[in-house]
Amino acid sequence: MGTFDEVHGPDGVRPHYRRLMDRLDSLGDEDLTDRFGLIDSIFRTLGITFAVPGHENGMDRTWPMDLVPRIIPGDEWRHIEAGLIQRVTVLNRFLDDLYVGRQEAINDGIVPRWLVESADGYVREAHGIPAPGGSRCVVSGIDIVRDDRGTYRVLEDNLRIPSGISYVLENRVAMTRVLPVGFARHAIRSVDHYGASLLRALRAIAPPPVVDPTVVVLTPGVANSAYFEHSFLARQMGVELVEGRDLLVDDRHVYMRTTRGLKQVDVIYRRVADEFLDPVVFRQDSLLGVPGLHGAARAGSVAIANSIGNGAADDKGVYPFVPAMIKYYLGEEPILPNVTTYLPWEPDQLELILDRLDDLVVKPVAESGGYGIVIGTWADDETLAATAAAIRANPRGYIAQEIVNLSTHPTFVNGHLQPRHVDFRPFVLSGDGIEIVPGGLTRVALAEGSLIVNSSQGGGSKDTWVLEDGLEDVVATR
Amino acid sequence: MLSRHAEDLYWLGRYVERAEDTARMLDVTYHNLLESPATNETTAWKELLEVLYLDVTYDGPLEGPAVSAYLVTARSNQGSIISAVERARDNARGLRDGISTELWEAINVFYLDLARADFKIDIERRAYEIFSAIRSRCQLISGVASQTMARDEGYRFMLLGWMLERAEMTCRLLSIRYARLAGVEDQMSFHTWASVLKSVSAYEAYLKAHDASLNPTNVLEFLLLNQEFPRSVLYCLQQVERLLGLLADSGAQTNVERAIGRVRARAEFCDIATIVNSGLDQFLEELQREIYQVSEEVEDHFFRAGTDLQLHSYRWA
Repeated sequence: MGTFDEVHGPDGVRPHYRRLMDRLDSLGDEDLTDRFGLIDSIFRTLGITFAVPGHENGMDRTWPMDLVPRIIPGDEWRHIEAGLIQRVTVLNRFLDDLYVGRQEAINDGIVPRWLVESADGYVREAHGIPAPGGSRCVVSGIDIVRDDRGTYRVLEDNLRIPSGISYVLENRVAMTRVLPVGFARHAIRSVDHYGASLLRALRAIAPPPVVDPTVVVLTPGVANSAYFEHSFLARQMGVELVEGRDLLVDDRHVYMRTTRGLKQVDVIYRRVADEFLDPVVFRQDSLLGVPGLHGAARAGSVAIANSIGNGAADDKGVYPFVPAMIKYYLGEEPILPNVTTYLPWEPDQLELILDRLDDLVVKPVAESGGYGIVIGTWADDETLAATAAAIRANPRGYIAQEIVNLSTHPTFVNGHLQPRHVDFRPFVLSGDGIEIVPGGLTRVALAEGSLIVNSSQGGGSKDTWVLEDGLEDVVATR
Repeated sequence: MLSRHAEDLYWLGRYVERAEDTARMLDVTYHNLLESPATNETTAWKELLEVLYLDVTYDGPLEGPAVSAYLVTARSNQGSIISAVERARDNARGLRDGISTELWEAINVFYLDLARADFKIDIERRAYEIFSAIRSRCQLISGVASQTMARDEGYRFMLLGWMLERAEMTCRLLSIRYARLAGVEDQMSFHTWASVLKSVSAYEAYLKAHDASLNPTNVLEFLLLNQEFPRSVLYCLQQVERLLGLLADSGAQTNVERAIGRVRARAEFCDIATIVNSGLDQFLEELQREIYQVSEEVEDHFFRAGTDLQLHSYRWA
């Protein structure tokens, strides 16, 4: 199986990478090592850390950013952007159809009803909760990989509370300090308006007739691993960062407790999972939520982003049906294809999966963060046997996919550049339209040969440069 | 601003002031025992614990090292300096966007130093150094706060907590000490009154305003009513009143403004001679009660919005 390298093609360094690679060559490994050492101290100074629960010094770990940025030329970005707009448009349509519409896609047999209703993130109590403009996925993180032929494919949709955008913005800040000259020699599209764009999208979903909505970010609190990002986003938008205990619901309206009394809240960008949002409706032991919040959302007096129940559409078992949804709702072919996926609950596919277990990847549908994944080519016989038994016992609990040999990218490891596998998570905003800030989170598996890029599994990240369309060869004048 | 943030800042101020006051009183008690050997050691330590409301919970021996350890490094003691600083730090951590980075660092480093394992041993060997180090750390924190923070709502809440805690503490100190000393006019009382003044860093300021004869009535007047000394009760109450005027957002008078107006006026217009003759302990007790009332009103007014509501899941039209 071949591997697609982002930088090195069959004819040497790809054109859009030449200027960067020349610059890195001219610096040499020693200078690069010095600059690499700068990165950690920049991140600590900026206070960009993530918390590892249950770890004494876990409150301040940095997530390693690599020295070598990933570059996406303008035409490739246009392709990705069109594919993301198409996909998120359809996912919004499907969810709105499911929860407040006539469930047409289900009734017309595009997606099996039992499959949707057995999804872990499907929430029966979300039926009837309106989402202004049908924007149920205000913030989506769509994971994209590149296969051995360089084709961009969607690996996973994250429509609940995707995180990582703060790294996109902070990586950019760090990169301009570490590689200022390399940076200035490219026409790189900026990402720092993300906060303004997010605020615009959130304001767009305010319940009518509110004209000047009060927006807040709802966080589980300082102990959450993504707390830095929550506070970062609140600051970027200039809105309050609240916890559940700061809010109360009276007569189906949401208020925050301020020193000047109660203030009505119109839009909540929540980073608290569905099951913790409202102890009246969901988990009774949750202290993170707000009693009555669900009722207020149902009454339409407050908009919650992302909508409750979005997990019905980003379930790994529903994922294989997204291309069919695109054809159904838009009459279009998917611009970004899926990865070939097999479904163990279909008897013929089950046989195929069990036959080929040693060259497929098996994923539990309810896990995220790279947990529970079994890559057949690397697994020992014992693991394969256990996986086969688990699939037979609970077919709805797993999917199997062709192994995508993720593209590689030169990465600074142990003092010199080495190829490492990467993926890509762009962030898609839907408010009164769909907007994608040009860039995203490129995650890199730092261990040689590893295909698992998640931060919880020893991954790092890269700054991602999207070049101005048509200006790939032009030196920016800055 | 969010009530929770305001409340965290308010308590941040209180905790830092509490740590500083505790350290200063420990320092003075130690020195008083060294300088006037006639003082009864047991009584001195018991009194200190009383001022801090910790005489009931403390069951160790009434002697320097044990009481100091209890007041400085005992995590089991909610009123110890390390507990106060730890809570100040917890509050500061949740407020990273609401306070300056310099302030966070000053508090964080202070806590980390106190939490060092060898700190406990140091306290027995170098009590004086330790107490003055704690005091100067607290003063550093208040200096950093005043030099690096915008004079916004949050800053005012922090200062409010600071000033209320200080007014309470000075009152408390006076009432415990005065009860013990009333009528005692012997040679020993000079040291005791001097130590009362030193407990609130007022000795030098007092000497400038009066002289070294340390008349108990003058000391009392100075600590209660001096308008220029930043630790006198009246000065603190005037600051509290000013801050509340800025923070309360209404033309109409609120309970909290009424409460502070009442206690400030009681202090400002009292006649010391009459009070000393007709029952100082009762006066100080009432003053403390009214200051406590102000704290209660502050919490109700600013931090408890909505708690008195009868919440409705649905109100029929």
